[in-house]
Amino acid sequence: MKNKKRRGFQLSEKQLGYAMVIPSLVLVIVVVLWPVAQSFYNSLFDYRLNDPSRSQLMLSATIDLERYVDNHFYIGGQLDSLLESAENEGEAEAVKEIQQDIENYHSELISDEEIREKVEEIDDLLASFTPVRDSDLKYSKVDNAFAEEYQNVLESHAAALAEIAASSNDDPSGQQFQQSSDLLASTASNILNSNFIGLDNYGKYMKDQRMWKAMGNTVFFTVISVAFELALGLAIALLINRAFKGRGIIRASVLIPWAIPTAVAAMMWGFLYDGQSGIIAHYLETLNLIPGSSWLLTTSNGGMFSIILADVWKTTPYMALLLLAGLQTIPQSLYEASSVDGANKFQQFWSITLPLLKSSVLVALLFRTLDAFRVFDLIYVLTGGGPANATESISVYAYKTLFAQQNFGEGSVLSVIVFISVAIISLIYVKLIGSDLFDGRTK
Amino acid sequence: MNKRGGIGFYLFLIIFVFLVMFPFIWVFLTSIKPPREIFSSFSWFTSNPSLDSYEAALTNRPLVRYMINSFAVSALTTILSLVFASFTAYAVTRLPIKGKGLILGLVLAASMFPQIAIISPMFNLVTDLGLRNSYMGLVIPYITISLPLAIWILATFFKKIPYELEESAKLDGASPFQTFRKIILPLAAPGIFTTGILVFIAAWNEYLFALTINSDDAWRTVPVGISMYQSQYSIPWGDISAATVIVTIPIVILVLFFQKRIVSGLTSGSVKE
Repeated sequence: MKNKKRRGFQLSEKQLGYAMVIPSLVLVIVVVLWPVAQSFYNSLFDYRLNDPSRSQLMLSATIDLERYVDNHFYIGGQLDSLLESAENEGEAEAVKEIQQDIENYHSELISDEEIREKVEEIDDLLASFTPVRDSDLKYSKVDNAFAEEYQNVLESHAAALAEIAASSNDDPSGQQFQQSSDLLASTASNILNSNFIGLDNYGKYMKDQRMWKAMGNTVFFTVISVAFELALGLAIALLINRAFKGRGIIRASVLIPWAIPTAVAAMMWGFLYDGQSGIIAHYLETLNLIPGSSWLLTTSNGGMFSIILADVWKTTPYMALLLLAGLQTIPQSLYEASSVDGANKFQQFWSITLPLLKSSVLVALLFRTLDAFRVFDLIYVLTGGGPANATESISVYAYKTLFAQQNFGEGSVLSVIVFISVAIISLIYVKLIGSDLFDGRTK
Repeated sequence: MNKRGGIGFYLFLIIFVFLVMFPFIWVFLTSIKPPREIFSSFSWFTSNPSLDSYEAALTNRPLVRYMINSFAVSALTTILSLVFASFTAYAVTRLPIKGKGLILGLVLAASMFPQIAIISPMFNLVTDLGLRNSYMGLVIPYITISLPLAIWILATFFKKIPYELEESAKLDGASPFQTFRKIILPLAAPGIFTTGILVFIAAWNEYLFALTINSDDAWRTVPVGISMYQSQYSIPWGDISAATVIVTIPIVILVLFFQKRIVSGLTSGSVKE
């Protein structure tokens, strides 16, 4: 009896385990893995939110049915009235030919069952002045060759009508021809060519000066600030790794810079660095450490210095805390034993502290390097990437391309570059740290 | 190294604390100066302190609204991620399932993903769901940051709970879920609380998603709202200092109350015990 119960228990323990893991896994896939994959995919397109002909991802030619149906509705009426006002046989012939062509292509387009249904549905919506919100209804895939042909025909007819309009002496009828020409041209622009461009965006950025500059800035910022943070953090950790009164005050004052939002810290430092009323700019100038009080935020070197100083201020405490925790796990007996053997403080540091601290240092470095490489808020708020892009990090450049230029194709390339760099950095560190990272978590 | 500090040591500590706290001290001193004085002198103390800057900071921009927004978004994010993360961390550390290393590896990898690589599809998703300028519109992307963080920290806390208690619960006939709810959760409560603080701070400080997704002033969070105080033409340093002081006070209180927990949470993920 007891045995049976136990076995049933084991099985459901396993089931419970999977049931408890699945929600988080689904969430991680939906909010982390899928968006990154989507960014990769977006980067293969000439995809711009602010350009109606490229605001969709189109693997094949696509037709904007909403605007096409609307335009097509007017084409019939306009061409009929052109026929009436045609001044000679030649003009009338030309208009008739256009009518025939458009009729042919249009019926070929709606010979597709699905497209015909969509056209009818959109017709009803347009008749009641309802905008088409469903993008599945609004856009329809069409055959690449057909799309190109139809587009060419519409464009050449538009050109022909424009020519007649230009040569026409009679103003009102000339205007009429010009209007129809514009209508045909705009209809042609409703047929959208595929904006899949493969790796072209990547090719562009490999040759882009600004990308390499931003990458250089990011690497420089990461290496210098993390190096300073490690050196200062280790020094502070070694100094305060002892029993003393007032540990609480030290801990709190160390945690506050870490805990405040980076954007708030950036605003504070922006004030301290300000060329007119910034106290740090003022003191550094008085001490002749910088050429002028405006040096900090208006020159390339000053901008980079300012950002690194602010970052070191904000994150060194965090580094010191992680290292201090590592120091406290080193058994005191090791130091006592080596003292007995006659080792001095320096030898102890090299042969005991550093080797035993190695994994703490590497883990702290891993997190700090990744954070520094992704730097966005500090630079965006403090300098905006300026002056003249001198402090622009790759994330800031990506953000500007994505949201200021609304260019999701090219911006995604930059995001993917950040992603790949971060992946490489992590792989190197994980290799160095080895399996220690998972110790103490799985059985 | 159980040596005690001498006078030199305490002098060093005082200088260290002063340097770390200097920006806050200066910003606080600026915030109580009359606005005219900020631009005209570098003296530390003002002879006639005033609260004008505070009044301006609260009236020129909806600072209180920013704080309510930040609080709502961070609290929702924290609760949601704690629920999912405590399940997952429990299963990964204590239940006999396969692929634990893989799951934790995935979680760790997810926490290293740069937000900039996620932002544009996330922006499209939130826009399509009609959630721009809403709390949920930020909570969904914040899961990308908070869930891996919470799972990672909670896993260390769960790991520390002795197995004997669980074994005896099993012998007494408790179902696995009962064991989790009645035995593990109460024991892990301090760890869950600590994780909650860290997740809350991470969500409170997030900038990139908040900047792009909630662009309407009434839905901005504190970090974005503060960075919008500067206008194209003038920088109202008085307002900014006062606003900074106001939004920093809750964090200072949080840190003062929970500093030990925060440190234990921060270091739990990085130190072998």
